[in-house]
Amino acid sequence: MTLAGPGSDLPEAAGQRLGTGAWSSGLSVADFAACGPMGLRPVALVQGFCAMQWGWYAAGPGLTRGGWGGPGGAGGGGGGPGPAPYAAATESRGYNESWPCPHGIASLEHRWGSNYEQPWVESAWSQGFGSAYRRMVEEAEQAGAHGIIDVVDDASYMTEQSVVEFHVTGTAVAVEDHEGQAPLWSTYLAGQRLAKLFEAGMAPVSVAAGLSSVMMWPNCQTEYLLGGGGGSMWVGPYQDEITQVTNAETAARRLVRAAVSAQLGPDILHGARFSVSRRAAGGGGHVIECTLRGTRVRHFKDFDPLPPPTPTVRLS
Amino acid sequence: MTQASDLPDATSHRLEELEHGLFTSDLSVNEFLLVKHAGFHPVGFVMGSSIYHIGIQARRWGKSQELNKLTEAMYNARELAMTRMEEEADELGADGVVGVRLDVNYYEWGRDAAEFIAMGTAVKAEDGTSYRNSLGKPFTSDLSGQDFWTLMQTGHRPQALVMGTCVFHIAHRGLAQTLGTVGQNVELPNFTQALYEARELAMTRMQDEANRLGATGIVGVRLEEKSHQWGSHTIEFLALGTGVTKGTGEASLPVPTTIISLDH
Repeated sequence: MTLAGPGSDLPEAAGQRLGTGAWSSGLSVADFAACGPMGLRPVALVQGFCAMQWGWYAAGPGLTRGGWGGPGGAGGGGGGPGPAPYAAATESRGYNESWPCPHGIASLEHRWGSNYEQPWVESAWSQGFGSAYRRMVEEAEQAGAHGIIDVVDDASYMTEQSVVEFHVTGTAVAVEDHEGQAPLWSTYLAGQRLAKLFEAGMAPVSVAAGLSSVMMWPNCQTEYLLGGGGGSMWVGPYQDEITQVTNAETAARRLVRAAVSAQLGPDILHGARFSVSRRAAGGGGHVIECTLRGTRVRHFKDFDPLPPPTPTVRLS
Repeated sequence: MTQASDLPDATSHRLEELEHGLFTSDLSVNEFLLVKHAGFHPVGFVMGSSIYHIGIQARRWGKSQELNKLTEAMYNARELAMTRMEEEADELGADGVVGVRLDVNYYEWGRDAAEFIAMGTAVKAEDGTSYRNSLGKPFTSDLSGQDFWTLMQTGHRPQALVMGTCVFHIAHRGLAQTLGTVGQNVELPNFTQALYEARELAMTRMQDEANRLGATGIVGVRLEEKSHQWGSHTIEFLALGTGVTKGTGEASLPVPTTIISLDH
């Protein structure tokens, strides 16, 4: 691939496309129509991609699953599994809980479990998303834009099951009558939702997104309850909270919120969207991945009260 | 039927009937209402079709490359279908076609053949103004009736459904490359670059089409990806959108109003 220019990692075709006459936009017509009154002019549909090798979900401390190791009590987080062999060189926020067998019996059916964060997965996601986002911003800068609206990001498996492609697209816009240098802003919003944000006195700064990944290896009690097992003298009553699962799910949300909060600085996250995926990891393990996306916004003027709403009856 | 201008006899007969006042359309009632409100009248449902034999092209296992012959085939087949649809609209004296859909169908009786179909509703301006595009042909657009109305209110008018396509073979990874990244979550630059370049080529071609028509912009761009029947490493990237130009009229968008819906 020939690159667009020195210091750039965009393909040459991108440089040529962004230099041509007609602008392009992925905006719907309604969103396009709302641009004019806001003083925004579409410049180009911009995009960024990154294909990542993606694997080793179950690597790391989970390899010891089923063993009797793992000192420390449930919820203690002290002395649990050590650092993962494939951990990225990023600082983990460090969720780690051991779940010992509550029955104290040594047999194949009775075993310890553990919940732990997978920083190497989070780091890979950040790298993939970050690279794709950076390339999209570079395209927008080449097109002479001031901001990017209607950002859409996705990650999907491609060609080989071990390869995930991150793609981030959006419509680069120029602010009419704007001169001078300012950092390029981006937002998931477009159209009337963006107009209302401006009316509310807030301006977008950038999209903010993060992913947390928590591996849960159930201990014998959790596994029994997850399998639909009823109450007994070993596992307790029929209806009870499955604490290990609750803790893993809660931790995934807490971790991703912390990751995104760290990106916000003094700003506010607007339009936050959680999405959670759960996947069996083999050997009874479960991966819980939580993604949080939103637009980082900043207050720039006092709120303009909206006109009173008009009651309507829809005839369709 | 190899030329774009060869329409079947049944088409001429159907179009003749439409010239007597009856119209057909695939517009919903709401779309019909808004197309009328924008000053247009539907004159007929139009379509174009082309069954195309898609050949083969050698590809190198370890090399990412555009498959020009396949790109050309996908492009030509869609162009033929679109041109035939435009011809039907032309016979009806239409100014344009709204709600254009482009589909590709495969049949059991032709493994290497695909049918490319373009269809939409031909419309004509009620005040007699010509809305044909810069080439003198009826405009085409994949916009719905609602979007068509909104676009007209912004002072823009559609020129043509513009598209760009690129069939790209994405190189497989060699054994050394695979082993070199075992156990790592890392970017695979060869994949990234191949996909990136293919999409950019498709989008560049779409923009070139718009430029040739004198369009000032393209709205509603979407990127579609499909492997058709070529296997997972050969992908067609198709960029589609409606090329628009700024009209002479002023924008007359109504002021947005907040509403309380009284529906359940």
